Amino acid sequence: MIPLLQAQAPATSFWSEAFNSSELWTKLIITLIVGLVVMVGLLYAPIRARKPIVAFFTFISGAYWVLLYLWPKPIDRQPGEMPLNTVETVSFWLADSNNVVVSFTQILTGFLLGLGIFSLLKIHLTKISKGHKDAFFSIVLLASMGLMIWFGYADWFDRLGERGAMLDNRDNWGFTQYGRDFLFEGLLQQMDAAMFSVIAFYILSAAYRAFRVRSVEATILLSAALLVLLSLMGAVSFVWDENVKAIANGNPFILNFQLTEVAQWIRNTFQTSSIRGIQFGVGLGALAMGLRLWLSLEKPGSGS
Amino acid sequence: MKGNLGEKLQSLPKPILYLILILATSIPLFFPTEVPNEPVESTKDFYATLMALPEGSKVLLMSDWTGSTRGESKGAFRSIFKILIRRKAKVAIYSAADPQAPRVAQDAINELNMERKRKNLPTFDRWNDWVNIGYFPNAEAAINGIANDLKGAFGGRKDFPPNSPPRDVFQSPVLQGVTKVEDFPLMLVITASKTSNFAVERVSGRTPLAFAVTGVMVPETQVFYQSKQIVGYCGGLKGVYDLEQLMESGVNFPDKATAKIKSDKLGTIEGFPDPDNKGQGTRYYPTLHYALALMIIMIILGNVGMFLAKRGDKS
Repeated sequence: MIPLLQAQAPATSFWSEAFNSSELWTKLIITLIVGLVVMVGLLYAPIRARKPIVAFFTFISGAYWVLLYLWPKPIDRQPGEMPLNTVETVSFWLADSNNVVVSFTQILTGFLLGLGIFSLLKIHLTKISKGHKDAFFSIVLLASMGLMIWFGYADWFDRLGERGAMLDNRDNWGFTQYGRDFLFEGLLQQMDAAMFSVIAFYILSAAYRAFRVRSVEATILLSAALLVLLSLMGAVSFVWDENVKAIANGNPFILNFQLTEVAQWIRNTFQTSSIRGIQFGVGLGALAMGLRLWLSLEKPGSGS
Repeated sequence: MKGNLGEKLQSLPKPILYLILILATSIPLFFPTEVPNEPVESTKDFYATLMALPEGSKVLLMSDWTGSTRGESKGAFRSIFKILIRRKAKVAIYSAADPQAPRVAQDAINELNMERKRKNLPTFDRWNDWVNIGYFPNAEAAINGIANDLKGAFGGRKDFPPNSPPRDVFQSPVLQGVTKVEDFPLMLVITASKTSNFAVERVSGRTPLAFAVTGVMVPETQVFYQSKQIVGYCGGLKGVYDLEQLMESGVNFPDKATAKIKSDKLGTIEGFPDPDNKGQGTRYYPTLHYALALMIIMIILGNVGMFLAKRGDKS
């Protein structure tokens, strides 16, 4: 009977309007004006008033995610369905606005990239203008960044036409694509891989110098580590396991001593339970910190 | 280097250590050898999940790897795509960990297509077989949006159809008829970062999840596998090598008695022997062997040195 009671809603909601419609433009302009007013208002707000304003917006933002998680969700909601009561009204509103909030979060995070570029420019342009002894490296860095941005955008604009998909084929490449490929694949990706591979040297050096059998605990740790390391070496584990199988002759107890079985036992018994414990602790810590931030109890810089 | 043998063994100079490591990891690359191996259960499950996809299935792929972990991730990416192409799957790719990731994935597919073209095999075409939805700066918000409102989360994103300017991704054959995350029979995550955790938090239970992760992520991924929050995973270079061997031999194939790779849990899953299956995993796995062997030797050497030094002190 319930579906009969439901009225049909328009296809758009508060958060969405038809493409290029006057309603959409009106909302865009109003949002822009409100945004500018809020920004100017914040700039001129007395310093004492800023803290409660920030606390208010932090609370509202956090409350949205808390409500989205805890509020009953609409079940089998049909397009155009109207809410029946307050609970449904709120749940529909939360569901409809989710995409807007997510997009807003994406844009806000995207601004961090801009902030990074601004910070980088500020530091390195200052170094160059003051003739710092490392100014050469700053020039190289900014030139690399500029070139990468230029070739990246040039490649992007080339792709906006009808030939866009064809540029995935190397045979159709021009100067821009070769330039982009040289900088991105030829340089950046290779340097990225080289930087990461340096870790192998540190790991070997650290393992050699620090992994010592100095106590019972260290001996247990070292034995477990060696067993897991050996299990990752297919040739060793294969030969070991084949020998154990031959000795066991079907005896299930002896079969437990296959290297892969022992390593799996270490992983499933000790490793996963330890990681679960750690993650549980981290989760509780994050929850506590999240609550403090949400309620603006955290005072940055005060150490409380 | 002064002191007794024990002290000398404990304090080998770093340049010598580094030189040994360079030699131990470089030389195997020039002498390719096939190392005997038994794939682990998690990779067998991963392979079984991919091979169980009905032909033409739509798969959502979060590709979050770049050049830094390509030793492992690129091998996994290529192997996965070889299987997906065989299953005639349609793949929607998005990235959330690194702005470089969409381009890296795109370049890896183009490379695979160039190889297929050289062998006169049909290519895996952008727009018709896969779409690149692009980069989402906030990984947690992105997966939240995908889980709650997929149409909204991917809405407005464009990709390149052949001979046409960019169009809305939902017009592509890959995303036609897709309205929610449950419409994908599988979500794959190829990652070198924590983005896999977000997928478990938001998508687990909605659609099956399978991961391809780097070696350092194996312990934390094992937790999700053990609790059955993910159906399988391919972990590190060993996982890539396992996957390449599974592609070649299948599981319990042609029958359990004669199969090269057996499993009590899984039924018969066919392989597809092809020289092309042996990729990055087969090439790099011996190198990993030598690196691990070297590490074990150096740890033993350091400890022997410590005991010798202690004995010298007592005497």
